Amino acid sequence: MPERIISLAPSNTEILFALGLGDKIVGVTTYCDYPPQAVEKPKIGGFSTPDIEKILALEPDLVVAANFHKDTVIPELERRGLNVVLVDPGNIDEAIDSILLVGEKTGTSKEAQRLTSEIRARIKAVTDKVASLSENQKPRTLYITWHDPLWTLGDGTITNELIELAGGVNIFANVSGNSQTDLETVLARNPQVILASTGHGTAEDSPFAWASTEERLSQTDARTNGRVYEVDANLVTRPGPRIAEGLEAIAKLIHPDIFGD
Amino acid sequence: MSLGVKTTTTPQVPRALRWRERVWAIGGIAIVLALVIVFSASLGSAHIPFLTTWKILISELPFVDFDGTWSRNTEVIVLDTRLPRIILAGLVGAALAVSGTTYQGLFRNPLADPYLIGVSQGALLGAIIGFSMPFDPQGLAGDSVIPLFAFLGAIGAVIIVYAVARTGRTLPVTSLILAGVALGAFLAAINSYLILKSKNEELHSIFNWMLGYFGMSDWNEVLVVLPFVIAGTLVIWLYARPLNVMQLDEDQAQQLGINVERVKLILLIMATLVTAAAVAFVGTIGFVGIIVPHAVRLVWGPDHRFLLPLATLVGAIFLILADTLARTVTGPEQIPVGVITAFAGTPFFLYLLRKRRRGTFF
Repeated sequence: MPERIISLAPSNTEILFALGLGDKIVGVTTYCDYPPQAVEKPKIGGFSTPDIEKILALEPDLVVAANFHKDTVIPELERRGLNVVLVDPGNIDEAIDSILLVGEKTGTSKEAQRLTSEIRARIKAVTDKVASLSENQKPRTLYITWHDPLWTLGDGTITNELIELAGGVNIFANVSGNSQTDLETVLARNPQVILASTGHGTAEDSPFAWASTEERLSQTDARTNGRVYEVDANLVTRPGPRIAEGLEAIAKLIHPDIFGD
Repeated sequence: MSLGVKTTTTPQVPRALRWRERVWAIGGIAIVLALVIVFSASLGSAHIPFLTTWKILISELPFVDFDGTWSRNTEVIVLDTRLPRIILAGLVGAALAVSGTTYQGLFRNPLADPYLIGVSQGALLGAIIGFSMPFDPQGLAGDSVIPLFAFLGAIGAVIIVYAVARTGRTLPVTSLILAGVALGAFLAAINSYLILKSKNEELHSIFNWMLGYFGMSDWNEVLVVLPFVIAGTLVIWLYARPLNVMQLDEDQAQQLGINVERVKLILLIMATLVTAAAVAFVGTIGFVGIIVPHAVRLVWGPDHRFLLPLATLVGAIFLILADTLARTVTGPEQIPVGVITAFAGTPFFLYLLRKRRRGTFF
């Protein structure tokens, strides 16, 4: 079983720690910021720019890579005889499966089983509560990744799935993936809830600051009802073991009446 | 035919248009501009019926009142989202075209554009510094520090070029161009390095800015840009006649009683201010400043008294239309307006060039 593991993505790092493999991790990316111990680990470079030499120098017996590395990094590593596993979840179900895959490759299948059934149970607890909502009880929700230019997350993203599971309607469910949009489309679709992500770019809180103060949004339902919220981007965009936590966070913001304390 | 020596040909002056024709042209183009503004305000990624848009616009006129059957958000879309962006595009287009015309006239060089003497690279350096700074958008008067930094970068670059090119009391045009090109290359080197070193998420913003980005333009931006463009443009228009005389030769112009160095300095300052204000909010939009003056010259002739106002109006129309395409073609996703200006403008310009092949620019 692997004793020296390198993670090439923040979500992979989270999975490895959640499976109790923290001590066996010898390298992570500069973007790996959770759990806090991950920050202390040696860095092998950025997510899109891992340093092959550094990886080799750390003599890993397992490298957990992501889809991004498929054509560029993985062949390089395999050519040098490294053992690489590709974790490539496209949705929440696959994210849960990828925990099982990592468990299998690292001899922690039992922990992976326990962790994934806990995640599934937490997700089901949320979806059960919103199952009976009719379409017009589901608030039209806008998720803002960045505000200038406006970027949002649409179909095929984990975040879009989370909004739907939490009993909301993503007003940009009709666009695909990470997508740029404009203010007038937002105004025309009049969101009832605005979720502004934190943790992107140099000024972390600026999407939220913008969404709460932009004059032209002031007549949207979300603003007139004071329903502009901050969400931790890492919690609701990473296909990792905190996915249920992300769902609970969104559900609480969209349906405080159902999920309030 | 012998190689090397080219026989000089007398430039053929385009058919002289009569006064009245050209005054009519200015009035006509101004009306077209008004129509283009209304037309562009009716288009956007959100589907609002034309009639509703026009009613909303007309309601803004004094003494007119419609029963508002539209939502408040629809009004915000037309009046506070589309309209300020259209007006800003118009101002920027006008600014780039009038300063392009000025530089071409001042330098007597058909390749001159508003960015010739370092403005674009200076502005870009300012913008990159702005993008890489962790700033609090609520902490400053505007929404961000980028416009201020870009403006200062542009002005700073021209001041350096001016200081280098100045010899005693005169400002040789050739030195000015060379110093501008040299400083531009120097700044470009710094910029390329900084861009390469910038973080992924900044990269996108910087690239957008380089290609021209109107994004979330609002009335505040219009109000900041407006006084620079109006004042600078009016001053430039006043110098149309000296600019005409300077086309002959600087010495001759001096003999004809024109204070050439003074005219050069004033036009340089005005064109720089106008350009810097234009690029500050929307980035370095290419093509407008070089092509619009030539297109206007091809159609209406080289007399700056008409060329300057016509180029100003046509520049505004051109950039408004380009930006309307930029925000609607793939709307709600935006295409950088610089991509549109070059892509849609070039074929039209080549058509003009071919049609008037025998007319000369200068």
